[in-house]
Amino acid sequence: MEQNNTNVNIKHKGHVAQTGIYLGKLFRMFIFQSDWKVMPMAAVIAGLVCFVVGANLFKTMEGTLLGTFALSCICIWNGFFNSIQVICRERPIIKREHRSGMHISSYIAAHMIYQAFLCLCQSYITLQICMIMKVSFPAMARITPWPVLDIGITLFLTTYAADMMALMVSAFVHNTTTAMTIMPFLLIFQLVFSGGFFQLDGFALKLCDFTVAKWGLTSLCAQADYNHLPMVSLWNSAFKLKDIEVNSETTDKVKDAVNDEIQDLNMDEEMVAEVKDILVSEGIDLEKELNEMTAQRITELLKQQGLDIEIEGQKPVWEILHYIEVNGMKEGLLLKSAEFNQNPNYEGSTENIIHCWSRLLLFIVIFSCLSVASLEYIDKDKR
Amino acid sequence: MVLELSDYMSLGSYLLQTIGMFLIFKKCGKKPWHAIIPVYNDYELAKCAKREKEGRVMILLGLLVAVTDMTSKLIAIFTPGSVWDEFFIMLRGAISICSMVYMVRIYIGLCYVFGRRRAWIWLFIFFPGFTTFTWGVSKKIVPVMSLEDEKGVEDSGIHAEEIEKGLTVNIRQRSASEFFKKKILLRDLHLTIPKGHLVLLLGGSGAGKTTFLNAVTGYEKADATILLDGHDLYKEYESMKYDVGFVPQQDLMRGNDTVLMTLEDAATLRLPDSYSRKERKKRVMEVLESFGLSMLANTLVEKLSGGQKKRLSIAMEFISDPSLFILDEPDSGLDGVVARGLFEKLRAIADSGKIVIVITHTPDRVADLFDDVIVLAKDASRTGRLAFYGDLEEAREFFGKDSMEHVLRAVNQKEEGGEGRATEFVSRFTYETKRKAG
Repeated sequence: MEQNNTNVNIKHKGHVAQTGIYLGKLFRMFIFQSDWKVMPMAAVIAGLVCFVVGANLFKTMEGTLLGTFALSCICIWNGFFNSIQVICRERPIIKREHRSGMHISSYIAAHMIYQAFLCLCQSYITLQICMIMKVSFPAMARITPWPVLDIGITLFLTTYAADMMALMVSAFVHNTTTAMTIMPFLLIFQLVFSGGFFQLDGFALKLCDFTVAKWGLTSLCAQADYNHLPMVSLWNSAFKLKDIEVNSETTDKVKDAVNDEIQDLNMDEEMVAEVKDILVSEGIDLEKELNEMTAQRITELLKQQGLDIEIEGQKPVWEILHYIEVNGMKEGLLLKSAEFNQNPNYEGSTENIIHCWSRLLLFIVIFSCLSVASLEYIDKDKR
Repeated sequence: MVLELSDYMSLGSYLLQTIGMFLIFKKCGKKPWHAIIPVYNDYELAKCAKREKEGRVMILLGLLVAVTDMTSKLIAIFTPGSVWDEFFIMLRGAISICSMVYMVRIYIGLCYVFGRRRAWIWLFIFFPGFTTFTWGVSKKIVPVMSLEDEKGVEDSGIHAEEIEKGLTVNIRQRSASEFFKKKILLRDLHLTIPKGHLVLLLGGSGAGKTTFLNAVTGYEKADATILLDGHDLYKEYESMKYDVGFVPQQDLMRGNDTVLMTLEDAATLRLPDSYSRKERKKRVMEVLESFGLSMLANTLVEKLSGGQKKRLSIAMEFISDPSLFILDEPDSGLDGVVARGLFEKLRAIADSGKIVIVITHTPDRVADLFDDVIVLAKDASRTGRLAFYGDLEEAREFFGKDSMEHVLRAVNQKEEGGEGRATEFVSRFTYETKRKAG
């Protein structure tokens, strides 16, 4: 073989051809090694989440927040596990190949294409599982003509952004042990600063803007039109009290009523204290008397208000809830309570969704650029 | 301001520690008054413990503590009760943990230098003032080893003349920075290797063999001029890297690829773009045949034996037909017969007009195949130096040994089981080179 490589004009395979080589290697690994296992894993995780939170997903405010948070978690989990070890486990091989003329950008580009394929498949599987588990998707599409596709794009972008973050970590660290040590911290950071569940303010709130979870969650909530979904927390809390009967346990309320009566007498504090002293001197314990007050007294008080209700042994909470339900007022009540708990971040507008997607895309670009930049220094790795 | 008992105890401990350091520094030949300089005294103590790197970290941590404290106080004044307070408490805690770990490392070093048991560390941790003071005043506790840096052999001051067909190496210095400190790894290596030579690279562990090879190949650039057939390898690295084949010690290949795929991908990466698919395929087949891998073409790399993997690893580099071929312990893990076969193959490559440089730890079984030997050794300053370069017969004569393994033993450090005569041979070789150069 005659060749003079010292000639500067000799060209070698360019970036596209090299990307093709590595893409081939990655897909061979997908088929012949264990990489394909991420697919059934995604199905199992999605199935579990749908089983637990699928019933109220996209139906109520609380169910949607919980469900979309869980969906974002699935995406982040999938993304992280796809790529957290892919670079660091073969770092010495990359170093050798880089010295032999491999372009780092081609190597990362091959990973990006391959990981996009994995994330796409996982997002599709997650959606399919949601459908099989009869999750009711939003009826209105915001960006594409199909609401499911909107949701699918968000799932894909969230998974892919998390995937690129893990790829960046994999490019930065030198071995799999370090990568797997860092991963839980990243995961916790994503969950805590998702901005959905934990009450954050000030600097901590600003940190949320730097998480994939926040933008994934926000996008899903916006697509579900979170702010116009009914809120069931109030109803559910009241429903838990439905079996409370009127008895001595309700005396706190009565105490308030009696205090109101005292106030109605226009007694100032000195007079009240004086009355209390008199009662004490006559051996009457006012607190005890109030505590022992029964439903009979409540009935009397209600009568004074013009309500002739015999309340002893009744379940007023249940009666009120029943009344609301029978008269078709429940939906209105739920929507009314939702009105006071709207989150401007989850506004169901096209702009909001596009904003979330663009943030996720920005993350993808930044993480992949950082991966390339860090691997460019691979020759400086210590032996 | 009323001082409490704990304040008096802290003050007492600090004073005892300072006095103790003062006396320890005196014993170690350092300036005793450095003990009164906060933060810097930890660095000096680290030097007494032969743990200079840890000392530098302690200085950095000390500065971090100062900056953290100052910043947190300023923030407390301007924005009282902000979230940053907690952040600084957290940061201060993390720095304290780091400081503790590095101090323990220094104490371990101190025990080693003073020849004391490691159990002393517990006393240092829990009673630092009292323990440091005890070490300072006790006449029994003295360093058992020298702390002074020894001077290495002087440079030869010569320069290897460029050869038109072959490799000209002029490494003035190869240094590396480790935590703000420059360390010289290699110095004053000048030699020329003509084409067609198979060269043995010999040296104890840490002598700088791999550093030398990385400097020669341009992977880790040194203060050097490396010429291959008259072309400056550093200046024309991007185009010349394809003309250098480096086979690493480990078999760095993907186990899930077949032998054929591995070679095809290597060919795509390394061969010029002008090669057609057919020509590339032809070259792959030639190399497969040449390295006896044809029958294994469709076998997965992970299924190959050690010797087969090694041959494939060499074939990957050989595919671009490099002029300079370097192998780092290609015979590690191979039995004598397979190793011999491999070296015979390397001899054949050299005979085809290439330069082949090989590191091996079992040179005598194939000594007859080599043309020259490069012996690297650490001189008194623990810098990698050229202890010999020439043919094997001359090497035996120079070192007064009858085998390459004995040559290696002669230059190895005493703690490595060697004779510790590296400085002597480096000095002699430098002198003779200077004499020959006139």
